[in-house]
Amino acid sequence: MAGTRIEGRLWRLCQKELRETIRDRRTIFTLLLMPLLVYPIMSMALNRFLLTSGEIDDGYTICVATDMERDILDQWLSSPLSVPPEAILESSGNELAKFNAIIIPGISPAEAVLSNQADVGLQLSNLETGIPTATFYAYRGDNVSQAARRVVVERLQWLKLSQAEILLKQRTKDYRPPLTVQAEDVGEVEENSMLATIVPLVLVLMTITGAVYPAIDLTAGERERGTMEAVMASPVPRGYVLFSKYTAVVAVALLTAVANLIAMFTTLWAGGLLGLLTGGDAFPWITILQMLALLVLFSGFFAAILLSLTSFAKSFKEAQAYLIPVMLLSLTPAMLSLMPGITLTGALTVLPLINIVLLARDLLSGSADPSNAFVAIVSTTAYAAAALSVAAKLFGSDAVTRTSDKSIGSMLRRPRESSPVPTPQAAALMLALLVPAYFLVSNGLIRFIGNSDGIDIQWTLLLNALALIFTFGVLPITAAWLSRNNFKTTFQLRPAGIMSFIGATLLGLGAWAFAHEAFVIADALGIGGLSEQQIERAKASIEKMREASPILLIAAFALTPAVIEELCFRGYLFSATSGVVSPFRTVLITAFLFGLFHVLTGNALLVERFIPSTLMGLIIGWVAYQTQSVLPGIVIHFVHNGLLNTVLYYQEQLSFLGEGFDNQAHLPPLWLSIACVLVLTGAALVWLANRRRNGNNDSISGDTITK
Amino acid sequence: MLIVESLKKKFQLEETEVRAVDGVSFEVAAGEVYGLLGPNGAGKTTTLRMILGLVKPDAGYAEVSGYRTRTDPSAVKSRLGFVSASDGVYPWLSVREMLLYFADLYGVEPTEAASRCEQLSELMGIKPLLDRRAGSLSTGQRQRVILVRGLIHDPPVMLLDEPTRGLDVVGVQTIFEYIKNLRELGKAVVVCTHRLDEAERLCDRFGLLHQGTMHRTGTLQELRQQSGHDHLVEMFVELLGS
Repeated sequence: MAGTRIEGRLWRLCQKELRETIRDRRTIFTLLLMPLLVYPIMSMALNRFLLTSGEIDDGYTICVATDMERDILDQWLSSPLSVPPEAILESSGNELAKFNAIIIPGISPAEAVLSNQADVGLQLSNLETGIPTATFYAYRGDNVSQAARRVVVERLQWLKLSQAEILLKQRTKDYRPPLTVQAEDVGEVEENSMLATIVPLVLVLMTITGAVYPAIDLTAGERERGTMEAVMASPVPRGYVLFSKYTAVVAVALLTAVANLIAMFTTLWAGGLLGLLTGGDAFPWITILQMLALLVLFSGFFAAILLSLTSFAKSFKEAQAYLIPVMLLSLTPAMLSLMPGITLTGALTVLPLINIVLLARDLLSGSADPSNAFVAIVSTTAYAAAALSVAAKLFGSDAVTRTSDKSIGSMLRRPRESSPVPTPQAAALMLALLVPAYFLVSNGLIRFIGNSDGIDIQWTLLLNALALIFTFGVLPITAAWLSRNNFKTTFQLRPAGIMSFIGATLLGLGAWAFAHEAFVIADALGIGGLSEQQIERAKASIEKMREASPILLIAAFALTPAVIEELCFRGYLFSATSGVVSPFRTVLITAFLFGLFHVLTGNALLVERFIPSTLMGLIIGWVAYQTQSVLPGIVIHFVHNGLLNTVLYYQEQLSFLGEGFDNQAHLPPLWLSIACVLVLTGAALVWLANRRRNGNNDSISGDTITK
Repeated sequence: MLIVESLKKKFQLEETEVRAVDGVSFEVAAGEVYGLLGPNGAGKTTTLRMILGLVKPDAGYAEVSGYRTRTDPSAVKSRLGFVSASDGVYPWLSVREMLLYFADLYGVEPTEAASRCEQLSELMGIKPLLDRRAGSLSTGQRQRVILVRGLIHDPPVMLLDEPTRGLDVVGVQTIFEYIKNLRELGKAVVVCTHRLDEAERLCDRFGLLHQGTMHRTGTLQELRQQSGHDHLVEMFVELLGS
């Protein structure tokens, strides 16, 4: 009975949210009128694109001035001698271009091209000499016109060559062609349905369109209407209210998507483009059903993400400010599906949004792999659930606040009183600035070094260190200064015992082996992995590094990252995060961010670095939690990086140790055992050194970490 | 029925710390109308929000029928009715749909909710409005709908925050009738207002709040004896001047 009552209550709450949204005329406008308006226009544009790109193959038109000229042209082009050799024909898909010769009374062939009535114009002269001159006109800058002229000229060249070869064979008995050309195909035919590449993009757009307005209206809108306080004053569980809002957002997103789908297919059908896009004449019912199923997943995922963002917003304006970047970001992975060579495998199966877009593409092209599809669906469902739980936590948490109470100026004004740790908002802002700053600095550095011929390796190392200091160092320090955070507590600059440092050193000595194993395992799982080209490039870099002084190398690649990155991740971000979540989550979040920033290098995504770096982040994070200090973490980081760089530097001298550094294979068992002993001993020392304090205090360092 | 004990709340506004409520205590019995009075910014609304559990107090507690907000927020919320002048409506729902929605939020059974909706609408004179879209109501009509909304779950304690703000003479009179009715129904009522003349006519006991502190408390007679002034306005003028 209680269960039925809860279901009934939930159903009524959902009904209210749906009614409220559907009755809003603006929603109806977005839902129904926009697709009706947009798709016919899109269809016309597509039709025009297909026509001009020659995908609708009715042949090229050649304008001639007289019937005689038309007869001569037809004779030339219909001659088997004008057909290119088989090898060339095969390499262009065994399709011979069609030409239609036309006469337009009153205008010359050149004028016909100029007025866009023909692709090419032909004028024949010197006919009386028996060696006519054919002049072909094409429109300057028009690709179709230029391509048509190129093809027809090539055909006439083949005609001339073939006739010449025949004559040569007749007159010279021992004539031998200089070479024989063959064309062979490798690989399998790829289904290249246009629908499969365009639909995921449209799916993302239409789902967002449908979900955005209700997501804002049902969350931030509650505050603006003045109904939030009354709702939150009631004893209804917050999760019920949010779930009903989620249901309404999903429902409206789905309705919008279905309306778009119907409008899209009807327009394509009416415009005669359906067969061309689906690759067949039959109406693609199965494809449409698959798309509907995907829409449910899409809507569920997007609605949860949008609600988690809009629940945080205090006004419509604020919610829109949050959503616009998300919408723009969503387009990037959607664009990925348009790229050839991007497949739903390895790490991409769990990358939010990208996995769904790729799955949509694979389903539509009939090439979806069930296990990858399963991983993509499960991970997306998990992300949606996580986003929904965040939304449930945020929704109504500050029910009495109706608008943002801080101006932009207040963000840059230093508060009068100092605070022990940064707020999560300040840390989020710092992170948001760190991404573009790191991107600009690292890319700028790469371009500078690339453009500077013969730049000294010493300078390269120095610039690398400076780039790190100006991003991961300067930004958190500036943020802490602006917020008047206590530097000692913010950057966890507390002393640690000698035992902790010994333990950290041992951890640094042993952890690299596990990072290496994580890398090998990730490679085996298809997550990242280095291509031959990358390995070659890395070898070249190592070779170049050997020209530098080993001390400078260690300073640039071990000491600077150890100090700067630790101050940023286990200092600033760790203390900001530990103020709001449990130590376990703090370690996880900072390790994840640490792993993520190691993936972003220059303008490339080094996915293979994610797992080893995150693993290191977890180890160092645990030590930071145990010791409440950033210093032992700096030691681990320094020893780890220092060890790897030393080994790479002295690789030839260390060759007696055997293979293992150079390839992507597992380490020898003996090495792994030694590393294991080092790590376990190090961890035990760190734990023992801090056991008493951690055991005594429920609240470790009252100002930062709360158990 | 309602006990408020030493409630305290500080806010950080930009660079300054504001003591919004500083040790406020009072009690309201069943069938009693308590006027929580004070100028704008005195801490009246923050006190109500702490009773409701919308704002977490720094110290002290609020107790409704033996349940404390901090330890049993759901039990407290289900026993409180809350009406604020700044409350809004759902513009695309009908008045009836909105009232039934709030009944659902309070866990009232649908049949009981429908009957209470009819009963209260009759009482507050909004029956002809029940099937009208809430967005099309006038300010006075909307305020009456909100008053009905606050009573839909039949709470023993009612909290009214500036209920007459923005209303005309007829609207104010409706509110007065409503409060009298609540008293007759045996509900404990807290009315927050800065309209002292209205409060004198309505309330049984008073708490004079200024800058987050309760300066005087008691019946009008007791306040007169304490302050030496006949009217609440004079008492406040003295308070603001001190």
